[in-house]
Amino acid sequence: MTHNPAPAHRGHPAPDAGTAGPAGHYPVPVLAAAVLVAEGVSFVLVGSAALWLHGQPVPVGDADVVIEPNGQNLRCLGQALDWLALRPRAVPPLRAFPALSLASVITSYGRIDCLLERGRIDWERLRQSAVRIPVADAGVLVAARAEVVALRRRFKGVTADG
Amino acid sequence: MGDRTGVGLTECAILEALEALGAHPGRRYRRNAAVLAAVEDRIGLAPAYAYEILLDLARPWTMPLSLIQGQGNFGSRGNEPAASPSYTESRLAAAGRVALAAERGDIAPVPIGLINGNVYAKGTRPPFRPQAVIDALRLVIQRPRVTSKELTDVTGPPYFLNGCIVTGDFTALAAGRPTVLRLEARLSISEDHHSVIIDNFPPTVNPDDTAQSLASRARVRDWEAQHPSLHRRAHLPLSNLRDESTQRHGDRLICVPSHGTSPEQLQEQLRDIYGVYTTITAALPRPLPALLRSWARAYPAEELLTSLAALEDAIRIQPARS
Repeated sequence: MTHNPAPAHRGHPAPDAGTAGPAGHYPVPVLAAAVLVAEGVSFVLVGSAALWLHGQPVPVGDADVVIEPNGQNLRCLGQALDWLALRPRAVPPLRAFPALSLASVITSYGRIDCLLERGRIDWERLRQSAVRIPVADAGVLVAARAEVVALRRRFKGVTADG
Repeated sequence: MGDRTGVGLTECAILEALEALGAHPGRRYRRNAAVLAAVEDRIGLAPAYAYEILLDLARPWTMPLSLIQGQGNFGSRGNEPAASPSYTESRLAAAGRVALAAERGDIAPVPIGLINGNVYAKGTRPPFRPQAVIDALRLVIQRPRVTSKELTDVTGPPYFLNGCIVTGDFTALAAGRPTVLRLEARLSISEDHHSVIIDNFPPTVNPDDTAQSLASRARVRDWEAQHPSLHRRAHLPLSNLRDESTQRHGDRLICVPSHGTSPEQLQEQLRDIYGVYTTITAALPRPLPALLRSWARAYPAEELLTSLAALEDAIRIQPARS
């Protein structure tokens, strides 16, 4: 696992909520990932937020996180989501996490998609090739660019540019 | 969907039920339980489902052109639910009557679906300013060679009730490409310069959830010392949050910054809180000029102008809404 500096680019076009603002600002969903790190949740960031952190100027609509599949981490995730969710009652109960493939929660940082099944299947592989990228002062574990692109192609049918 | 209005089939069935029950504009309201029973008779849709649609047609914050006028507790944009259909009443709004007349073929088609869109029902078609759509249609009827740019200029950007700020690539939207629109509540600093006022929430936002979320972002987390830089970005420096929403003035939150934070700084941070803003993916089935031209081509100009005038009258007598 390597420790990369934060990407140099900052400044994407409007209008998406996730696009960057003035220099030094992060897309809101990228901050969501950093807050999850601070809350002690173990995950690998994938999706558009990951591509953005890899330096690609894509609009960031949400935070897609592959969750480490262990009981302690799922408890930690549940507590963090309870705090972050716009509607805490909409957060699935902790006991449901092991059977869910996805927990999608609207938070004050936009939508966080917790890819639980992907974590159960791919956690070790994704973690090994992931890099830690600082967001503010929290190190976010971000899936390798090739992995992010492959996952997006597989599940959304989009290319590296989109 | 009704071909001649763009109003959905269930919506049409609700309007027809109201008409059959004699709940005409300006006449007496009918109990919604009776309306829903009539809808079930017509199209077999269970009352619980039809009621949600009926509520949307009457709620003043959902669409620019209300097709129904309601009486009683139709719920709030926040967490307050509507009363049971036995305790609420409805009647046709003037625009609802025009929609029925167009669907029956008494008058030429009217672009109600184009005006109201379907974002309120989690669709992707955004609403437009009613008068602007009518003006654009008149223009294309009177000057068939009008350019696409002139038409989109007249129609203007999507128009959401409550005056929220809409930004996005309107050119792409008008060209028929899916586009992400950002809808933002209005943030202003109070006259006494002590607080930030949030009002004009986007229609898809629940202000009660936003208030709860702001309060939760103002709480200090135990990782504050470990991640001071992240904490500065994530923590909301709020010392007090008041909900001053009223029926008359709409939803309104008052945010008082904590000591050492100016209202301007708080205002900047609030802009990044989901719930103060939201995003939607908007898309039109075809480029906007093509949609307008297809309306204009379908029927004789004189008949279309008459039906547009009827719709314009209905808009004029619609009660003012926040």
